[in-house]
Amino acid sequence: MNRTNRFGPLALALALTAAPVLAQEQQAPAQDTQTLLNDLEQRVSKLEGAPAKAALNSFNPAIGMALDTAFRDDNDKASFLFRAAELNIEAPVDPFLKAWGVITGSNSGVDVEEAALETTSLPYNLTVRGGRLFANYGRLAHFHDHELPVIDRPRSLDTYIGGETQADGLEVQWLVPAPFYLNATAGMYDKMGANNARQNNQGARPLDSFTYLGRLNTYADLTDSQNVELGVDTAWTPKRKVNDTAGANGATTGIVTQNDTWRTLTGVDMTYRYQPPSGGLYRGVIWGTEVMQNDERRFDPTTSLPSPRRPSYAGFSYVEIKSGLQLRGGVMADLTEDQDIRGKLTSTYTGFLTYDVSEFQRLRLTYAEAITNVAGAPRDHVVGLQWTGVIGHHVHGFRDR
Amino acid sequence: MRTNILSASLLAVFFALAARPASARTLHVVATIPELGDIAERVGGDHVSVDTLARGTEDIHQVVMRPSLVPKLNRADAVVYLGLTVEHSFLPGLLNVANNPNLRTDVVKECVGAGCIDCSEGLAVLEKPSSLSRSEGEIHPFGNPHYNVDPADGVLIAKNIEAGLVRIDPDHAADYEKNLKAYLAELNAKLAEWRKWVAPLKGMKAVSYHQDVVYLGRFTGIDFIGTIELKPGVAPTPTHLEQLVQLMKQEHVPLIVREQQYDPKMPEWLAENTGAKVAVIGTMSKALPDTDTFIKMSEHNLKAILAAVGKAP
Repeated sequence: MNRTNRFGPLALALALTAAPVLAQEQQAPAQDTQTLLNDLEQRVSKLEGAPAKAALNSFNPAIGMALDTAFRDDNDKASFLFRAAELNIEAPVDPFLKAWGVITGSNSGVDVEEAALETTSLPYNLTVRGGRLFANYGRLAHFHDHELPVIDRPRSLDTYIGGETQADGLEVQWLVPAPFYLNATAGMYDKMGANNARQNNQGARPLDSFTYLGRLNTYADLTDSQNVELGVDTAWTPKRKVNDTAGANGATTGIVTQNDTWRTLTGVDMTYRYQPPSGGLYRGVIWGTEVMQNDERRFDPTTSLPSPRRPSYAGFSYVEIKSGLQLRGGVMADLTEDQDIRGKLTSTYTGFLTYDVSEFQRLRLTYAEAITNVAGAPRDHVVGLQWTGVIGHHVHGFRDR
Repeated sequence: MRTNILSASLLAVFFALAARPASARTLHVVATIPELGDIAERVGGDHVSVDTLARGTEDIHQVVMRPSLVPKLNRADAVVYLGLTVEHSFLPGLLNVANNPNLRTDVVKECVGAGCIDCSEGLAVLEKPSSLSRSEGEIHPFGNPHYNVDPADGVLIAKNIEAGLVRIDPDHAADYEKNLKAYLAELNAKLAEWRKWVAPLKGMKAVSYHQDVVYLGRFTGIDFIGTIELKPGVAPTPTHLEQLVQLMKQEHVPLIVREQQYDPKMPEWLAENTGAKVAVIGTMSKALPDTDTFIKMSEHNLKAILAAVGKAP
């Protein structure tokens, strides 16, 4: 028996015993893969079948707060001003409606600035807004104080509108189905203007004692980097009661008149923007102008005696230059005619410089000088340094862009 | 008689147009940024007309809400967007006034409705914040949203756009699928080529202006170790810049990536103080000349980086 023959049976025996082992080794990875797949499949099923991760407060509204404080020197008398802590709350109500509230606390107390409902899915490009809202009048009039380009609200807006365009009522907006932007607004309110003392938000009144608003605004791209936005509006109050609380003799209380007490506040506004293609929001120029005509029969604030009807005019114009991500500055001129004294004009010139530390923190320095064209009237000068911060939820709204 | 014929012809044209089947209608698609518009045009083909909101040269976080964009969104059948809240400065605000029931604004998803096409669906999101605090800068709560600068994510974007178009317009599903295949064939060929280009960049350290290149880093292998900004959206302080110079010298960083929309002064100062080279990239197509498509933008960005470090493809 040669060596080959001697080892032949041994080799065969080894081959026979080794074959299942090799087969097992080849099958092992396949089995491992199958096990792994089964395991993964189970884990994926668990994940897919698991409820969405949500906390009980998931439906709570988004909350943010703007803090606005300033140091102000007014004719060489200075003070720190807690201007506002403005709490913003916003959430969808259901698939058809959203709601928001703005509650402001300041040195003068706590006030619900806005508490409004707005439809989100009406047909024919209609949007209905109701509750306490900032009426869609003018360009800057419906901006909250801390969103203005200057610290103090322009005198013309403050005097003719009465602060922000706060109004309790209903507003309908229609986006005209045109290839260009054209928006129409119709509103009906108790009154317009938070500090407008002509009417109040209390009590019922006939339909002719509400304030009615109409506004049209449009927009055009002039070039790739220049555009202009135009608006025209009027707020009409057909009639109002004027109570003679003091009376001519200081004792009578009663209605002086309801005749010829209608008021219109008509305005036009224009905003020109130069936005270089590579600058986004950081660079460019904004030129905004707004002019208003107030037409009403005025009543002496002390005697309530009426004076003849006459129009008065007010407006402002400002230019703001944005030089980069953080720095912007500009000038504003405001001209306001006294509504009671024809020809008495107050001119206010403001220079402002804004430094955006970040998107949520801002420092602003302004210098304003006011001159009234009455002999001997003192010049009024104000220096202000404003510090603003926003915490929590914030939005980039279209209307206040 | 002539008037009657004219009237009859106009009526006939009117009824012919009115009687057009819905499937023959062109879909109005609005894309938030140019490269999404480019891919939507490629995938949608003749069945879509595409408008774009951003011009490409802006910072995507600061795109201006021009009112002329409102009618476009009002008429749109679909809006294609990057998502992950990167368009928060303009898309929700515009949708809010666009009065389009198919495209409603949403605090979390930016857009809800039948016409919303979110290109981030299925994305492996990087840099998900472990905690949400503004002390970390202007962070995005769902993670880094700048995946459009990763050339490989063009595949995901195209697939999501195709899925969205098929959902909205199922009659042309076969055409969208065919267009997608053709686009992906072109893109995948480019990706294979680009992967060879960027092989020498693997492990290279770099800094960028903003924290928006992490996905580009994933594709190229570049390790971005810092930003010129102190935190996302927060301008650098002198101390931070000094520390960055020290870090770059210590780590021998040869590359500074400046996104086109940022001021060149700071990166140039940094380059002078560290010896690193500056590459200018676009974070949207059309940000730079001859980058009007996703493919051209991706190719430009890779070439700019390779040229800056002396490794031309």
